[in-house]
Amino acid sequence: MKEILIIEDDLEMQEFYKDMLQGGQFTITLASNADEGLKKTKEKKYDLVILDILMEGVTGDRIFAMLRKDSRYREVPIIMASALDEKTYRCFQALGNVSFLEKPFNKEKLLGEIAKRL
Amino acid sequence: MFTSKKEIVFNINKIIFSSLDIRDVYQTMSNELLKVIDFDRLSITLITEDNNLYENFVLSKDYEYTALKEGVFYPMEGSLMKRVVQFREPVIVDDTSKGRFLTDAVLFKEGIRSRLGFPLEYKGNVIGSVNFGAKQKDYYSKKHIHFFSQIAPQLAMAIENTRLFNKIKEAEKKYRDIIESSPDIIFECTSEGKFHLMSSAVEKITGYPAEQFYHSPGYGLALCHSDDQERVQNEIYQLLHGLRGILLDLEFRVIHKQGMVVWLSIEALPIKEGNTIVGIEGFCRDITERKKLEELKDNLIRDVTHELKTPVAKIEMAVDMFERSLKKENGGVPERGFQVHEILRNNIGRLKNSIKNILDISKLESGMELLNVSLFSVVDMVKQIVCEMTDAATAKGNVIVNLLPSGLPMIRADRDKIYQLVAHLIDNAIKFTEQGKINILARALPDALEVTVEDIGRGLDEETKRRVFEKFYKETPSAYGSGIGLAICKNIVQIHKGKIWVESQGKGMGSQFKFTLPVAGDR
Repeated sequence: MKEILIIEDDLEMQEFYKDMLQGGQFTITLASNADEGLKKTKEKKYDLVILDILMEGVTGDRIFAMLRKDSRYREVPIIMASALDEKTYRCFQALGNVSFLEKPFNKEKLLGEIAKRL
Repeated sequence: MFTSKKEIVFNINKIIFSSLDIRDVYQTMSNELLKVIDFDRLSITLITEDNNLYENFVLSKDYEYTALKEGVFYPMEGSLMKRVVQFREPVIVDDTSKGRFLTDAVLFKEGIRSRLGFPLEYKGNVIGSVNFGAKQKDYYSKKHIHFFSQIAPQLAMAIENTRLFNKIKEAEKKYRDIIESSPDIIFECTSEGKFHLMSSAVEKITGYPAEQFYHSPGYGLALCHSDDQERVQNEIYQLLHGLRGILLDLEFRVIHKQGMVVWLSIEALPIKEGNTIVGIEGFCRDITERKKLEELKDNLIRDVTHELKTPVAKIEMAVDMFERSLKKENGGVPERGFQVHEILRNNIGRLKNSIKNILDISKLESGMELLNVSLFSVVDMVKQIVCEMTDAATAKGNVIVNLLPSGLPMIRADRDKIYQLVAHLIDNAIKFTEQGKINILARALPDALEVTVEDIGRGLDEETKRRVFEKFYKETPSAYGSGIGLAICKNIVQIHKGKIWVESQGKGMGSQFKFTLPVAGDR
């Protein structure tokens, strides 16, 4: 089973992820901030990482940069999620193997993005 | 004798063209002349642009004082010069005591008895005259005129050249002054990147002196921020190869000597020699301040958008989750229903609060908000607020302690607004404190009332302390809240002519938000 790590500081958003992804073909691990998330990436290699961009403390875009510096995560697909639109984060597109997911999204959209990257 | 005269003419002409310093020319020429023409006074008088006369050179032999000394301006009218100009011919005065010219009388007093004025002509115009004066009567004759006529044209040309040279020098200085006083960097460089001109503004803007650019070709590009280098290089390449006619408002970053980023905007044109482009010229403007403002504005829009969109997004997602639960796709409806209800309530509250804050600050800032002023006791008001907020505080393990002394003066203010102000400060304290105490204090100052809301929570660093009352300022962009609350507080205090500030020993050291309001006068 593919393993997905979700770094998201909003507990309500975490609920939505759990609800949409439960019973599917993935196991999901949730982290509520950058420290927790990065610690988990050190413990094992996930198949996909979903990052919330605007988080308190270390933001998703910085986590993204840190992950890409880690040789094990250089190629791992990443989905960046935000309530802001993709235009705000146009810079990510150039970086490769990354999708942008605008909130709100429904189950179909989330599964679609994951399928595209896995 | 004749040969030697010829030699002297030759010598003088050589001297005339050997120097661009006209004073040198005059001096050596007069030394040479003395060998052939005896004079007690020699002057070179030039015609000014407004048709007056100007003594450009005066040499008086054996006597010190002369009224028409060097640097003196005097009118053409009544002078010997007027006649010289009129007839374009040399004029001889045999005896100044009987002279017709005003200048004759002046020179007669100095002992000059005879005079010879010789026109200096250049391209058909009389530009001045060379004047000889002798203490002897009837001294000058045709022979002198003949001799000097061999020198005069060259001298006139030398004088004109000097004048022209000085004019160019002056114009060059003016142009240089304009360039050097410009706050923008004005530059000119060859296609190889060698600078011919780099105005001194460059040092103010980049920290590097202009000389450094003159000495190393391509130095400008080397200062360019690595992310912008390729783009700038490409644009300049296009300009140099005629692929574009002008470079307009190309924005890029350079790294200041001290390491900070400076934003520049360049405007440049190719320099052409015939049809070949040999370099570029233009100017660079420091636009760092503008860029900072733009960034601030972008962040502001981003934060407000985020703040408004996030709760709406979650409401939508909660409804979606609820719909799926109805299809029995997962979970039980009652359980999901409760969860969805919570999320909806939270986010509608958050959205309502953001909208209210944005509307409040807009009203306050527009100055359209009318104050509903009344006389009231802050003590009673704080009691009421503490009572209403106790539940929220307890939920986070906090205790609100009301330490207001009795006997505080009444204030005359808009009670609802002051209520909003104090409630917001307490709400903030609750938000940033876990398991702690929030103290409300107040004291009477000579003409004001000071209120303090003190917590032992997160505290503020220097930057946050400085900016915390700014509209939409948040320590981190995703921090809860719209970043407007404290800006509203500041506005409320200001329209009541009070002051608001924050004290904190730093991160993790708690904070004290304080404000003052004028106490009710005798009105």
